[in-house]
Amino acid sequence: MEEEKQLTEQESLKLIQQMINKAKGSYHDTGIGPILWGSVITFCALVTFAQVQFNFDLPFDIWMLTLIAIIPQIFISIREGRMRKVLKYEDIALGYIWTCFGISIFLLIHININLIAHLDPIFKDYNTLKGPHQITFDYASYSTSLFLMLYGMPSILTGGITKFRPMLYGGILCWICCIISVYTNLKTDLLLMALSALAMWLIPGIILRRKYLKGSGCLKN
Amino acid sequence: MFKELDPILHSQLRLAVMSLLIAVKEADFTFIREKTNSTAGNLSVQIQKLKDAGYLEVTKQFKDNYPLTTCRITRQGITAFEDYVKALQDYLKVGQ
Repeated sequence: MEEEKQLTEQESLKLIQQMINKAKGSYHDTGIGPILWGSVITFCALVTFAQVQFNFDLPFDIWMLTLIAIIPQIFISIREGRMRKVLKYEDIALGYIWTCFGISIFLLIHININLIAHLDPIFKDYNTLKGPHQITFDYASYSTSLFLMLYGMPSILTGGITKFRPMLYGGILCWICCIISVYTNLKTDLLLMALSALAMWLIPGIILRRKYLKGSGCLKN
Repeated sequence: MFKELDPILHSQLRLAVMSLLIAVKEADFTFIREKTNSTAGNLSVQIQKLKDAGYLEVTKQFKDNYPLTTCRITRQGITAFEDYVKALQDYLKVGQ
């Protein structure tokens, strides 16, 4: 591009438009984050499903893997930040969205633990008094719906803001699964959760990864 | 009476740099060079002119032992860019 070329008014406006489009069209994610979380959530949901289905217990809570996954996620975020050539306003917005999501998940876990701790003795007392006409209330099944509601939100926002349709559609599917899970038992809920994580994080993550590697010349075709 | 077009902005490469930076929060020198298809030398000179005019804020640091230049548009730069676009639109309205 030459510096001193004299531009007409039309050429100036055209150039402005072209450059703004170039800046906007430069979204690229390495895809590692969505692959990590898609794999972890799918795996944990399927293992929990297997535990319920085949009636066995692991010596530890499989969902502890989500806590361990935070460590590589921190390194991924730092590395991606260092590699980034441009910081867009949408990157800042997405940063806030995913941070809020992470905090919301921890808040929901905290609420669930306290809620179950308060509800359990009430149901036990009630059932003791009531005798044979006992009530059953599986809060874990509704808890899955709440998690699915939260999972879908940042995925839809990310997909919409970045115009990345696989994540947008995956997020919508997650919300559909959320509605279904309200009416299904825990085993089905866990399968819906695995399906959601696969559709909104793992598969879009693989697509992003392939795009990223193609863009950096590491992948042919 | 037409407002005169800002001579700092009414140049192909400087306008391209400003248009690119108006859409983002900040960008590296290499990103701007790739998107504007310019040479490093020419781009350096034009960025310096924009910086001297107060339109850009340039930060120089080292990353992995390599120099890293980051540019972001200033408030003054945003105002100048908006005025430039408005002046262009006025010219085009009369031309129609």
